[in-house]
Amino acid sequence: MRRDQLDVTFAALADPTRRAILSRLAKGEATVNQLAAPFNMTQPSISKHLKVLERAGLISRGRTAQTRPCRLEAVPLKKAAQWVDTYRHLWEDSFDRLDAHLKAAQSAKAKGKINAGQ
Amino acid sequence: MPASDHSTAPDGAFTITRIFSAPRHLVWKVWSEAKQMQTWWGPKGCSIKVANFEFWPGGFFHYAMQFPNGPQMWGRFLYREIVARERIVWLNSFSNEGCGITRAPFDQSIPLEILNEVTLVETTGKTTVTLRARPHGAAENEVKVFEGMFASLDQGYSGTFDRLASSLSKA
Repeated sequence: MRRDQLDVTFAALADPTRRAILSRLAKGEATVNQLAAPFNMTQPSISKHLKVLERAGLISRGRTAQTRPCRLEAVPLKKAAQWVDTYRHLWEDSFDRLDAHLKAAQSAKAKGKINAGQ
Repeated sequence: MPASDHSTAPDGAFTITRIFSAPRHLVWKVWSEAKQMQTWWGPKGCSIKVANFEFWPGGFFHYAMQFPNGPQMWGRFLYREIVARERIVWLNSFSNEGCGITRAPFDQSIPLEILNEVTLVETTGKTTVTLRARPHGAAENEVKVFEGMFASLDQGYSGTFDRLASSLSKA
């Protein structure tokens, strides 16, 4: 992914309404009317958000049906989600090793005390 | 995920908590000594070689990461705040051999610096370690994305971004 494309993606995701739209689309495609209803927003303002999302490559819109239903395009988000997973794993794996390390250190200490006759 | 881990996001930051069966002074020791850090910290399958370990505010923990059959990569902690046995705040980033900050060698889109805070709390001989993280100095957009990935989320729809991420990982 090119850096400038990524900036566009980030900018699109920075808005809570647009993130909520994506959450909704994760459940399946929807028309502008279906998206507008729960936000209590007008169709034109939803359409503005959809344009931003479409330019960012986060959604695509049907060409054939009159209603032009929107659907989620997963790739740009997947990349960000992968990074988050990587970070979580780094710490989970490190904590696993830390746990083992602390147990070993304590058992060595206990053993040392026994050997020293304490 | 082990039973004691909690990955929650009360305020949008990435948080992971683990309870260790060890007193706090021992847990503090493993965070505050180079020899100890390199035995447990780091990505899976990678060995850490400590180049420099300055455990004080403004100091660097500079290390090489060696993956089997992989290239050597460098990283650093820049310590910002240290409260003995209680709390460490640091910036984590990739770096070059000279400890200069760099973007991740394999992915330019990874945030340049992550601000981490770890706190230690002892209860009856066990220590609860809580790590919180968020991108630092990133464009506000990047922070928002990072937070969005963890947050239990925006009002409006019941769907969460977590669920979105999980549906995406299956996509």
